[in-house]
Amino acid sequence: MAKESIKVGRLLRSGIQGFDAGFSSYQNPIPEFGTLVRAEIEPDFEVFGVIHNINVEDDGLVRQMVTTEQVDQRTVSDNRSNRNIPMEIGVLSVGYKKNGQIKHLLPPQIPQSMTTIFLCSDEEICAFTDAGRFGYFRHILRNQDLPVSEIIAAHFEQVSQAQAAGGNDQWKHQAIDKLISSLRDDYPTLMMVMDALSDVFPDWQAED
Amino acid sequence: MTEEMQYIGKIVGGGLKHGLAVRLNVPASEVQEGAFVIAEPSQGEWLFYGLVTDLELGATDPRFADEPIEKRFSETLSKALHGQTLYTNLEMLPALMMARGPDPSNKTEYDQWKKAIDAGLADEPRPVPVKTIPPHHSPVRLAQPGDIAEIFGKADKKGNFVIGYTREQGHPVVINLEKFVQRSSGVFGATGTGKSFLTRMVLAGLIHYNAASVLVFDMHNEYGLDDIASDTREKVTGLKTKFPAKVRVVGLGGGALIRGQTPDFNLEIPSYEIQPADIEMLTRELNLKETTPTTLEALVNTFGRKEWFRQFREMKSGAMVENEDGKRVPAPDSVDAWADSAGVNPMAARGLHSKLGRVFRAPYIQDKPAADGIKEIVKLLQAGQHVVLSFGKFESDLDYLLVSNILTRKIKQVWEEMTNEFRVEGKGEPRPLVIAVEEAHKLLNREMAAQTTFSTIARELRKYYVTLLIIDQRPSQIYDEVMSQLGTRISGWLGDDDDIRAVLSGLAGRDSLRGMLARLQPKEEVMMMGWGVPMPLPVRSRRYDDTFWEELLGKKGARRKSADDEIKELGY
Repeated sequence: MAKESIKVGRLLRSGIQGFDAGFSSYQNPIPEFGTLVRAEIEPDFEVFGVIHNINVEDDGLVRQMVTTEQVDQRTVSDNRSNRNIPMEIGVLSVGYKKNGQIKHLLPPQIPQSMTTIFLCSDEEICAFTDAGRFGYFRHILRNQDLPVSEIIAAHFEQVSQAQAAGGNDQWKHQAIDKLISSLRDDYPTLMMVMDALSDVFPDWQAED
Repeated sequence: MTEEMQYIGKIVGGGLKHGLAVRLNVPASEVQEGAFVIAEPSQGEWLFYGLVTDLELGATDPRFADEPIEKRFSETLSKALHGQTLYTNLEMLPALMMARGPDPSNKTEYDQWKKAIDAGLADEPRPVPVKTIPPHHSPVRLAQPGDIAEIFGKADKKGNFVIGYTREQGHPVVINLEKFVQRSSGVFGATGTGKSFLTRMVLAGLIHYNAASVLVFDMHNEYGLDDIASDTREKVTGLKTKFPAKVRVVGLGGGALIRGQTPDFNLEIPSYEIQPADIEMLTRELNLKETTPTTLEALVNTFGRKEWFRQFREMKSGAMVENEDGKRVPAPDSVDAWADSAGVNPMAARGLHSKLGRVFRAPYIQDKPAADGIKEIVKLLQAGQHVVLSFGKFESDLDYLLVSNILTRKIKQVWEEMTNEFRVEGKGEPRPLVIAVEEAHKLLNREMAAQTTFSTIARELRKYYVTLLIIDQRPSQIYDEVMSQLGTRISGWLGDDDDIRAVLSGLAGRDSLRGMLARLQPKEEVMMMGWGVPMPLPVRSRRYDDTFWEELLGKKGARRKSADDEIKELGY
């Protein structure tokens, strides 16, 4: 878990609902699915998002190499570290912070290309997820084309650890209550989300 | 609203016609059907009082209810899921609403409002029948003792009598005895539901608070003297034991003993008091023919209103003599001879004479009774005393119908005279009188209602200060017109649909109340309803035991022992 916010990539493409960023496969840390990131638009204006996808695009060299019988390990490593095309993360915008105020709304502006993307620190995670009443969930839940249940499960795992480290054991309970109330009229989605959360917290007891 | 008051849910829908829907936020087991609940909108002029008439489980999606969630997820997740997807809706039957006035925390506005009331410039808030509904999401809570006192009256106010307690929280519920005696009332319930105990308590309340004179037609000799309960075999205190100076036990028939004890005096009916209408009332009991009214009219025409019965009784049926020509003819003192002379069909006259045999032989009917018992009873009732007329060994329907009708007719006549004197001549106001009638359907069924004095009392005598207290297990057998006139109805469990329908007739929300009545505990639970109570409410009725007497009379009064007990304690 990040104690400080760490640079993880730069912006490739962006829109109001989200953005994509590129990063090197050899950098440390590599961003993880479901984690909260932020993109600085201006010194006092940043967009927050949840990673919903990580992918590696192919290039001409890889296409040739994958059909070769014997590939040297050094060649593989070289291709990974010196490839022309970066690894990509897809980020779903879930809110922004402007002039010190966090809002769980889509950002009024979009980040420009090459904007630095940071993994949020524990403190930033807590600040963002504590703001408002879990309004940012709706940005995730309405994207039925995405693996919503998996994003939620991964996100919950990250945030609940950060919140617990910050002394807030109740976040998980409150967040699940909110999730259930948002999805109680959508049985299939809710059950998928609950199944995913069960995998993250298999023996979750009330006092946890 | 104080902090200890806990809301049990909020209004989520419904209306006046089918009741309000309240989404519970407490477990369903914490609320029961029949509970008295209050909707308190956060804003607005009114508080709404109602009754829980149904509880229904629901789910945002039926699949949440179908699936065994607890097997699929951890306990915490299951609980969280159940908490929001499964719910209980409560149906509230709104009955009353009351202006709430300004919030007391807004002192200036509240003080002004209070001053206006004190100065008589504004009305004191009082409950009125519900005419509108609370808005969505109005919080709902269970009634507190103060709410019940506000609606039903305070237990310590003179004339208020605690009839029972709310089922869940045990808050006392009272009836106002002054209001109770203004209209006829009924105590109903299937056999074994405690009607007699409840009636004893109501009568004790009426006697203790001096709300009315009471005349009890005690067909089974239960009310006056101490008795043994048929189910528990425990001693049941009689009214005479606790109110020896106020209650007179009258035995039917000369020298009659009631449960082996001598009554205060005996009642013998003078034969001249029996009128043709008293006989016509017995048509079904005696299987009388349609010729009876004609024969009776002829008897009255021949012998007069006071003598007809005695003369007819003395006639010989079928007696023949030989005349001067040696022909057999009816004897001069025979029924046939009278029938011939009066132009009545002799067969009809003989038939009536034969069928009236049971009445002729009734030992309590005397030509010259030792004392005028009827007059004595009327005098006692006028003087504010209470009379329990025990039928002793005369427990047949015929005895009950005949005696109660004759006595009640006499009372009706006297009370009508007193009321007219009060209204026209300004004489003293008549004392209210309550006549308690057991097995009321025998006197007030559709067929009899037109013939007995009781139906007139139930329908009209309210104006003349006489009302009935009907005790019955088959209310459906009582004539609709009489049932509709009953002010206060107190009913224990009833198993028959027709009986339930009869008890609820004319009440608002009777469809919702029907199930509640059918699901009362077979013992010690009753439902109060009707004009005499502000709103229907099921209550756990008081127990008729030493505690009841202690609460009613204080410790000294409750310790009063029967003569039997005192004799036993002396070692005899």
